[in-house]
Amino acid sequence: MTMSEHDKIRDLLALAAADALTSAEEKQVAEHLRSCIACSNELETWRPIASELRRLPTPQPSSWLVQATLARAQAKLAEQAEHDWNRRVMIVVVAFAWLLTIASWPVFHFVAGRFASLLEPQFSPTQFSYMQFSCTWTSFAAFTALGWLAGGVAAVMLAVRQRGERRLV
Amino acid sequence: MAVDADVVRLRRGDLNALSELIARYQNRLYRYLLRMVRQPAEAEDLFQQTWLRVVEKIRSFDASRNFDAWLFTLSRNLAIDHLRRTRPQSLDEMLGEPLANSWHGETVADRIPCKDDTPLDHALAAERRTEIGEAMAGLPMIYREVLTLRFEDEMKIEEIAQVTAAPLSTVKSRLRRSLEQLRYALEARYPGGTWQ
Repeated sequence: MTMSEHDKIRDLLALAAADALTSAEEKQVAEHLRSCIACSNELETWRPIASELRRLPTPQPSSWLVQATLARAQAKLAEQAEHDWNRRVMIVVVAFAWLLTIASWPVFHFVAGRFASLLEPQFSPTQFSYMQFSCTWTSFAAFTALGWLAGGVAAVMLAVRQRGERRLV
Repeated sequence: MAVDADVVRLRRGDLNALSELIARYQNRLYRYLLRMVRQPAEAEDLFQQTWLRVVEKIRSFDASRNFDAWLFTLSRNLAIDHLRRTRPQSLDEMLGEPLANSWHGETVADRIPCKDDTPLDHALAAERRTEIGEAMAGLPMIYREVLTLRFEDEMKIEEIAQVTAAPLSTVKSRLRRSLEQLRYALEARYPGGTWQ
């Protein structure tokens, strides 16, 4: 056994006392210890340290702390549940509103076409709507869609800001 | 790895699961935090913050993973942020800060004799534990951490690596250095004692 190998084993002795060696390292150490009294003694010096570390008294949190933690964590859980419910309701409401908006486009198209044909009877409703009112109802559709998009962006920005404020609190 | 039923229930928002998890981990978590920050008041605050963070993040936790490692990683991050804010030197410290008297948090239950046969054996063992506890408290934070995770929490090296986000080789060398430092500290504090 060379000196460097002896030193290498010596470096492993603290870890051996901590049961932190791989099986290959354990074998290597065991083999070396059979022939090296100095390392055996060194390992015996590490053992009481490791043993006492395992037996250090465990500090215990007070029951007040545990109860207070539980109460705060439960309040947080309840708050999260409420937040989730509100989010779900919001999604349903927004989806319903979008549905109504989209449904209003053909209704507007139809009503506007009928109204135009009453004003100028020489045009059939279909001709009139195609030539003039198609532009009007498309504008209406674009306007409502843009309105919703702007509302969505504002809602997202507000949510991000609120989240930031909650973190600061 | 078996999926922890309480963790799964907590993910569904079950309040009882939360109280069972707190009851199960309270001693280990509090001890770990106390070893990290050394001040009971700070450890108590971090203990509360850790569980609030658990509630906040539990949905992003993969229930098939190791909950212990995840929980200790959360508390570690909070403790390190706290130390960085309050005592920036703590992370790089080579010399420990003065000890808080109740650092090792001994309780009445700890004074009940266990394996020590006679009152004298018990007194000697208690003295040795006090010595080692005080010497350990004087070590830098990363050494206290690895010692408590390995010896008190009995975590495997792989688990410690997960908690500390460090490679296995780093954890092993940190563990070796921490034991060496502890031994030097004991020999320096108690020359001619039983630690040599």
